[in-house]
Amino acid sequence: MARDPKHDILFEPIQIGPKTMKNRFYQIPHCNGFGSEKPFSQAYFRATKAEGGYAAVSTEYCSISPESDDTHRMSARLWDDEDIKNLSLMCDMLHEHDCLSAAELWYGGPHAPCMESRCVARGPSQIPSDFEYLTYAIEADKDDIRYLQHLYVEAAKRARSAGFDIVYVYGSHSYLPQQFLTPFYNKRTDEYGGSFENRARFWRETIEQVKEAVGDECAIAVRMSTDMFMGEAGTQLKRDCLPFVELVDELVDVWDINLSGIAEWGEDATPSRFYEQGRALPWQAAVKEVSKKPVLGVGRWTNPDAMSDAIREGKLDIIATCRPSTSDPFLPKKIEEGRLDDIRECIGCNVCISRWEIGGPPLICTQNATAGEEYRRAWHPEKFTPATNADNDVLVVGAGPAGMECAMVLGKRGMRRVHLVEAHEDMGGTMRWIPQLPGLGEWARLVNYRKIQLDKLANVEFIPSTKLSAKDVAEYGAEIVVVATGSYWATDGLNGASHDVIPGADASLPWQATPDQVMGEGKTLDGERIVIFDNDGYFMGVSLAEFYAAAGKKVTLLTPMGNVAPYMHFTLEAPNMHRRLHSLGVEIVTYHLPTRFEAGSVVATHVYDEHGHETTWEADGVVLVSQRRSDDALYRALKDEIGLDGLRSEGVDALYRIGDCEAPRLIADAVFSGHRLAREIDSPDPSIPLPFRRERRVVDPSFVKDERGWYAEQLAGAV
Amino acid sequence: MRTLVCIKQVKSLGDEVEFTADGTDVDPDYLDAALNEWDSYATEEAIRLREAGGGEVVVVTCGPQESEAALRRCLAMGADRAIRVEGVEGHDPIRVARALAEVVHDESPELVLCGVQSSDAVQAATGTALAELVGMPCVAVVAKLEVGSGPARVHRELEGGLVDLVDVDLPAVLTIQTGINEPRYANLRAIKQAEQVEIEVRQSSAEPASSRIRRMFTPPRGEGAEMLGSDPAEVARRIAEIVQERVA
Amino acid sequence: MSVLVVAEHLRGEVRDVTRELVTAGKELGPVTVAVIASDPESLVAGVDVEGVAEIVTVAAGAAEFESDTYRQALEALIAARTPKVVLIGFTVNAMGYAAAVAAKLGLGFASDVHGVTLEGETVVATRSFYGGKVHGEVEFPGAATVILALRPTTWPPAEGAGGASRSTFDLAPSPSRARHVEFVEPAASTDVDITQADLLFSVGRGIGDADALPELEALASRMGAVLSVSRPVVDAGWMPSSRQVGQSGKTVKPKVYLAFGISGAVQHLAGMKASGTIVAVNTDPEASIFGVAHYGAVADLFDVVEELEKLY
Repeated sequence: MARDPKHDILFEPIQIGPKTMKNRFYQIPHCNGFGSEKPFSQAYFRATKAEGGYAAVSTEYCSISPESDDTHRMSARLWDDEDIKNLSLMCDMLHEHDCLSAAELWYGGPHAPCMESRCVARGPSQIPSDFEYLTYAIEADKDDIRYLQHLYVEAAKRARSAGFDIVYVYGSHSYLPQQFLTPFYNKRTDEYGGSFENRARFWRETIEQVKEAVGDECAIAVRMSTDMFMGEAGTQLKRDCLPFVELVDELVDVWDINLSGIAEWGEDATPSRFYEQGRALPWQAAVKEVSKKPVLGVGRWTNPDAMSDAIREGKLDIIATCRPSTSDPFLPKKIEEGRLDDIRECIGCNVCISRWEIGGPPLICTQNATAGEEYRRAWHPEKFTPATNADNDVLVVGAGPAGMECAMVLGKRGMRRVHLVEAHEDMGGTMRWIPQLPGLGEWARLVNYRKIQLDKLANVEFIPSTKLSAKDVAEYGAEIVVVATGSYWATDGLNGASHDVIPGADASLPWQATPDQVMGEGKTLDGERIVIFDNDGYFMGVSLAEFYAAAGKKVTLLTPMGNVAPYMHFTLEAPNMHRRLHSLGVEIVTYHLPTRFEAGSVVATHVYDEHGHETTWEADGVVLVSQRRSDDALYRALKDEIGLDGLRSEGVDALYRIGDCEAPRLIADAVFSGHRLAREIDSPDPSIPLPFRRERRVVDPSFVKDERGWYAEQLAGAV
Repeated sequence: MRTLVCIKQVKSLGDEVEFTADGTDVDPDYLDAALNEWDSYATEEAIRLREAGGGEVVVVTCGPQESEAALRRCLAMGADRAIRVEGVEGHDPIRVARALAEVVHDESPELVLCGVQSSDAVQAATGTALAELVGMPCVAVVAKLEVGSGPARVHRELEGGLVDLVDVDLPAVLTIQTGINEPRYANLRAIKQAEQVEIEVRQSSAEPASSRIRRMFTPPRGEGAEMLGSDPAEVARRIAEIVQERVA
Repeated sequence: MSVLVVAEHLRGEVRDVTRELVTAGKELGPVTVAVIASDPESLVAGVDVEGVAEIVTVAAGAAEFESDTYRQALEALIAARTPKVVLIGFTVNAMGYAAAVAAKLGLGFASDVHGVTLEGETVVATRSFYGGKVHGEVEFPGAATVILALRPTTWPPAEGAGGASRSTFDLAPSPSRARHVEFVEPAASTDVDITQADLLFSVGRGIGDADALPELEALASRMGAVLSVSRPVVDAGWMPSSRQVGQSGKTVKPKVYLAFGISGAVQHLAGMKASGTIVAVNTDPEASIFGVAHYGAVADLFDVVEELEKLY
């Protein structure tokens, strides 16, 4: 298959300062949870994208000093010369693929709480961070400013030593240099505050110094937020950003153009729920009008036509991706080879980002189960070793996210025959109807991609509209049986707050329903007033609230939690979700647990009310979003009624279960579950995940004291 | 009742194509094989008849060794026996019909079912030609079939969905339309068992062909659309005309 | 080179395809049209168009099509008239008898033909193979007569008054073994299955907004079409995926596919390029869809829709 000539422009090299990018694909700085402390996971994660055709790949934000410590969130670090070694592996591996490496030098100012280093940040003015409310910075005097700029220079030199081709003086999303530029953060009255020139001074000087130190060998990148959407107080495009571009354009080799501040950076890392791809294009184009240098920028780019158009129309020079590079590190290669239907498109769920927001865990991806596992589990997104037990037939029952993924990977590993059997006429499981919720249309790509891939596999057959009994499964003729029958929403109000059912909760009644019934089966609730009891914590309750409110119902969303849909804070969807619900007139009631449901009303008490005082809400219809339950009836029948011996007598050697039917979980984890089983189907006991590489430091247990009487840090190794 | 089902392993082409050295066909490396979609409906219909009234379902195909995979598909669904006729390659439906006629003579089925057409050649001719060669009546494009005593009652599906009720004397050849039933799936056990079944292989002489392909080629691309101009009223008028001409 | 056209009729009306066969046939030689029915006189007017040299009526069989009658009639006509080419429409009726005649008499045969040329006295037919992706030229060495079933709507129907000469042909066919009983109208389907529609009104991201859909669906309905969509419309959550045409949606082959505001991504084209006639309306003259469309218009879909609403 050949590249579509329309996309040729994406493969034209481009010069940035002293370096050349071989094509227009750039992996923008983004977090993965590995930092400098897990250098192998870091390097393999990044290098996979280089192998996939990216011309430049960046670290995540890379701290230049212990004063810029974002613990519990993971950043990379270049605090001292030892840190150079860990990050140099990433550079070497990228260079093997003719890919440039970038280091996003970062100083957080008051945003970085320094919970590990216990240092204190310096900043332009002393006002607590707008999202780290306990963190104050030292209000920098001129010596502090010189020191800060010195930190950048030293870090830039370390970056150069590590092998980085591109060095950032990073400002967005409102880190130190941009804090100086922005009135919201900068109340100074000296020459570093006030007028535009003054506010721009710190950043300009820092760029000058970094350029002088490393600019001959490294390209200088500046990442800037063009508009914080905070009115006069925030950075504004015309007042601050474009003049700044003009001011320092000569010094800069490439512009990395962003949107938004830090408190609502979902305006930049846009969830598909609220924004389409290419949201930032107008701002990126505005910068391109005034700059003579290449401009790169993100936009959740998944469509090669749109990418080509953006460059052809002169709005952008380089297509930068974060999430689409994670969902498919081989995006550039697939476009080059004309294999567009093999592209695993980002669905914009931001589950990857949620891990960083939570602080600590490595990233995961709903679409790509191998994201983050390149080193830990040695999973390559495009390569699948033939299974040593390939001479077996596999029956996968259930074509939801876990089942589809499992069947696909088993197919790619060459299992003799794989039958993916699904009761419904379509693939997808709950992902058949979840994308029908307001705003979630792009999530259907999870199913679309797998449908296409499964169709291509000659050894995999999809059999729809077939519900198998335990007897059917036992007699099916498969040596390996994988049960992937998913989960359903509790019909009795069972919930994690009270750990009990709710009297009167019964989804078989005509005026009550679960999400499956509403969206999957089309159950309608009559009447005006809908009360949604939500203890899920993620999107189901609020999505249904939007669904009903948009249809004209009067909706009350009731939860025992202090906040509705708290996980959506981590996916950056919360602010706009709240705005949406507010504009639709949805009543949100927190801290309330229903005590009973009666026809026509929901009675609840405040969770902190010691006297159990009850409040009643009128309700024509009630939706129970209390929790999910595994749909394990088939698995239990196989294991308990027929039994493993009984199965063996029918020729079934192995029985496994994956995904929600084992335990309800995030969609990303259901996909992972199916993927893992298939990758490990030929291990001694596939039901138990194989150990993964933790990159831990293992001490030498001889425990010898040194001359100071300290137990010296003697390591046996790092595993 | 013995039902003979004539099936075909059809070939499909992806996005790339190369032709054979003599240019009369597509290079086999570029073709994927599968059981003809219509034939799975025909096989299912035959199996249902057997389940209702007893008898035997025999599937037959004209093709090389690799076409046995299609026969085994039908065996896995529940066909009782399979026959492959060798020596009749190519795209001539009447030549295939002559080879199948020999099998009909030997098997003496009460009913012969074929698919309406094959997805790769779309001649819709083999069953019809076969009927005449064995002296049976033919009804083509059957969407429903009722077999009792006396003539069979079939629904012939005309363009636009109009149904023609036809009484046909048995033995007869019927060509089966998709959607007449829901073909059953074959589980792995049945597929494995079908792998073990011995398929009878017969030879057929090469009868004179009714046609010969002298060359195959990719249709000229970028003939381009006939442009209707940009005046919305004119465009709408032409669309209405095209719809009127080409639908129904 | 004489050409024999077999007329097709249904419920007292001669079908358009018959007149298309006349257009095709007159390029090859003098055209005789055979009308076979219990009362063929009543159908003669429908075939007396320009390009027809002779109409021969065969009063035999039932009022409606029966395969045995047409088979025997054609066999007899070929024996008597020895035409070089017999033209039949590639229709459900033709599937019931045409190949039977060719097999019985050892004639040349090809169906779903969309091109016919004469090279001297030799007939060469062009037809498609492998899902329409390749074409093939077919010849019929040694055949005294060639039967070709032509793809409907490929040739334009002949019109005007022909003033053909008239003759009758006697036939005493043996009784039909497959007998027409009666017609049954198709039941109205409640399920929307875009793969079964003959006419699809397909919309893409060009419609801009979900709000446009009710009006578009109403227009589609009045046109006798089913509304289908491309992926971006499903991605945006405006329509369910059951309406999606494309590689990860459904593959459709309607007689006519109207594409409004669809640019033609590879995956979408894969799902509809086998359609009989494709008409594309898009404001972008470079849109890929124009590469597979038979008719195109660079126009705003809403302007065209506004005009269509006046016609339907």
